[in-house]
Amino acid sequence: MVASSRVAGSAGAEGRVAARFNAPRAARVEADANARPLEVNHRAVALVREEWRVVDRWWTEEPVVRCYFEVVLESGENTVVFHDGAGGGWYTQRGA
Amino acid sequence: MIACLTIPGLELKAALRRTPSLALRPAALAPEPQGEPLLGPVTAAAEAAGVRPGMRLGEALATCPSLALVEPDAAGAERGWEEILHALEDAGFSVETASLGVAYFETRGVERLYGGLEPALRRALAAVGTEWDARIGAAGRRFAALAAASVARPGQTVVVADAELPQFLAPLPLTLLPLERARYEELEALGVRKLGQLAGLPGGAVAERLGPDGRRAWGLARGGTAARVRGRRPPALVAASLEFPEAVGNELTLRRALAGLVETALARPERRDRFVRKLALSARLESGGSWRRTLTLREPSADPDRIRVALSPRLAELPAPVAELRLELVELTEPTGHQLELLAAGAEDRSRLRNGLRQVRASTGSGSVCTVVEVAPWSRVPESRALLVPKDE
Repeated sequence: MVASSRVAGSAGAEGRVAARFNAPRAARVEADANARPLEVNHRAVALVREEWRVVDRWWTEEPVVRCYFEVVLESGENTVVFHDGAGGGWYTQRGA
Repeated sequence: MIACLTIPGLELKAALRRTPSLALRPAALAPEPQGEPLLGPVTAAAEAAGVRPGMRLGEALATCPSLALVEPDAAGAERGWEEILHALEDAGFSVETASLGVAYFETRGVERLYGGLEPALRRALAAVGTEWDARIGAAGRRFAALAAASVARPGQTVVVADAELPQFLAPLPLTLLPLERARYEELEALGVRKLGQLAGLPGGAVAERLGPDGRRAWGLARGGTAARVRGRRPPALVAASLEFPEAVGNELTLRRALAGLVETALARPERRDRFVRKLALSARLESGGSWRRTLTLREPSADPDRIRVALSPRLAELPAPVAELRLELVELTEPTGHQLELLAAGAEDRSRLRNGLRQVRASTGSGSVCTVVEVAPWSRVPESRALLVPKDE
């Protein structure tokens, strides 16, 4: 796998630095009254295929509380977004 | 006409099928295990004692100390709702389900069959039966039909003619509208408490103040649009279940049981070589409740391994030991061919790949080529499962 320039830069400077695979990326999501996504990065959602909730690490100081949605955009692209219940904000994520 | 059938508190009614004696006592659907401690639907006796749906658990128990909490039975509720939809479909109604306990259907096609609108609606209620306290509203528009159903008593039908629509909707509460709680409060602070008051405001002003949601609500308060009802495709009824001699919490055992269920369900003759698009995995829990998850496959498949791999992670979400595991093939597609790979990737390809990566490294510098190393593949947090480690040789 060829890493992005950001990962490559950090690795080059500090030697072998591992990065998280499939790290979440901030996204601009418009949601409806039930907090279901209507738009992802200015592209309309055609269909919510699946939704699920992940609650983990609640025993740590960085608990994970996420509402995931697998959506099909009007362009036909499949993408997964989640709402971060702990810190707020929406993110896209691969590999979910 | 568009008819709307509603069953308020369907989840509670489904859960009470196991303990019918509680139906006449103050009882409420217990909060979800990982959610906020808010009550679900409540019985009439609980309502008479001052308990309201959505109340905080502590407040409800303080109000009514004898309140019995009924364990949610998600799978039972889904099954009950499916039975109701099947009964309606058997009676000739093509239903569109909006949510659990709310379904729409067009009456035009069946009015002649049953001798008019009212007899057709009565036939629909008879098909559902008296157990669920169903009620039906009918009007020219969907939202108006829902509003009519909301004022109907159990076993009653309410029909609203187009000419009477504004007068009918005007005194109804705003809570019928799909709005966030903050929006209701904002409207109440402005003195708007009824649909008629909202409908009387200028649409532009409502949109400016409340945004697109408010504009949509304003449109609904004026009757909404005459959107057509799209009857659903009845789901396939291919299922397999396994009852354990004693409740099982061990994930390995559950995975093996799931593998067996997948094989059994796919081997059912009713599947008729069709591919599976959507599945539902449900479980009866030792604690008395139930659990259910549905999954839509990215590509329809009849490959037991793929289906098993897709479903297995769901087993980790089971909240308690399982007494019975059940797999349903909810949606099946027609059989279609799958494109196979003509030539498998061989040693020559790997050598070319190595050379290519060497070139990338040479041109972009050390650390630009990474390998994916699994560190916690079982983790429920996707970014914790693997790391990108620079590969320098």
